[in-house]
Amino acid sequence: MAKKCEEFISGLADYIDGEIEPELCEEIEKHIGQCNNCRIMVDSLRQTVRLCREGKEEKLPPALEEKLTGMLKKRWKEKFGQA
Amino acid sequence: MSEAEIVKRAQAGDFEAFTELVNAHKDKLYAFVRKLTGDPDDTNDIVQDTFLKAIDKIDQFRGEASFGTWLTSIALNQARALFAKRKQGEMKPIEAYLPVGATNGEHPLAEASLFDWEDPLANLERAEIGRLIEEGLETIPFAYREAFLLRYVEEMSVKEVAATIGQTVAATKSRILRARLALRDFLSKRFEAKYGEKVRRIH
Ligand SMILES: [Zn+2]
Repeated sequence: MAKKCEEFISGLADYIDGEIEPELCEEIEKHIGQCNNCRIMVDSLRQTVRLCREGKEEKLPPALEEKLTGMLKKRWKEKFGQA
Repeated sequence: MSEAEIVKRAQAGDFEAFTELVNAHKDKLYAFVRKLTGDPDDTNDIVQDTFLKAIDKIDQFRGEASFGTWLTSIALNQARALFAKRKQGEMKPIEAYLPVGATNGEHPLAEASLFDWEDPLANLERAEIGRLIEEGLETIPFAYREAFLLRYVEEMSVKEVAATIGQTVAATKSRILRARLALRDFLSKRFEAKYGEKVRRIH
């Protein structure tokens, strides 16, 4: 079983991302049904990406925005002669 | 007006059109660079320079990629220059992240955490998870982190990531996977440290 898990590891990520041939997909599904380690692996790999996407959506801080507006205007004038 | 039309107006010297582009992309760009660098000061510098460079090079934008992708690639080049000067940690071999060793101990390098995330995900605050993600991303060497973030935060295809970072598809895939495994393992160990004790006590 351990050997099998090892063979699956790169397939697991493709499986989660839906980028896998149906045949291998079936094989992986069957394996996950029997192997708790790989089930946890698949769940947590999936969650890792989800959390990363959802995690703290930082916005441009207002202080930077203010500074930026002035800087961009200045650079624009240098390039185009007007803003 | 479509973005392509707004870009054309900006390229003709219309500052208002350029401001519109900045406003449309600033938060997304900031969030991406923040994840990429893990540091608010670095992020400020890079975002600022990215928009300045966008003005300098706006005539060179041909619309092959979206304007957002173009900005991302400018920011990426700056982040790379910054991190090229800094010492990067080594990435563990892929075997270290395999689930097998955790149970049978056969593989000397294998120490993957196989902790069920159900409990931590139900209980941890979003802000705390965000902090952990930031901390975890920082442990991953830049070359792996950029590939991972382009793939899953910028939602590029593997091919697009490969083109952006100038690597083969196979090498890119491997980087994305290793970063993902490493981040997973980091989070899992943190979750286990916080919730493992409780679980053990119950069972
Ligand atoms: Zn398995």
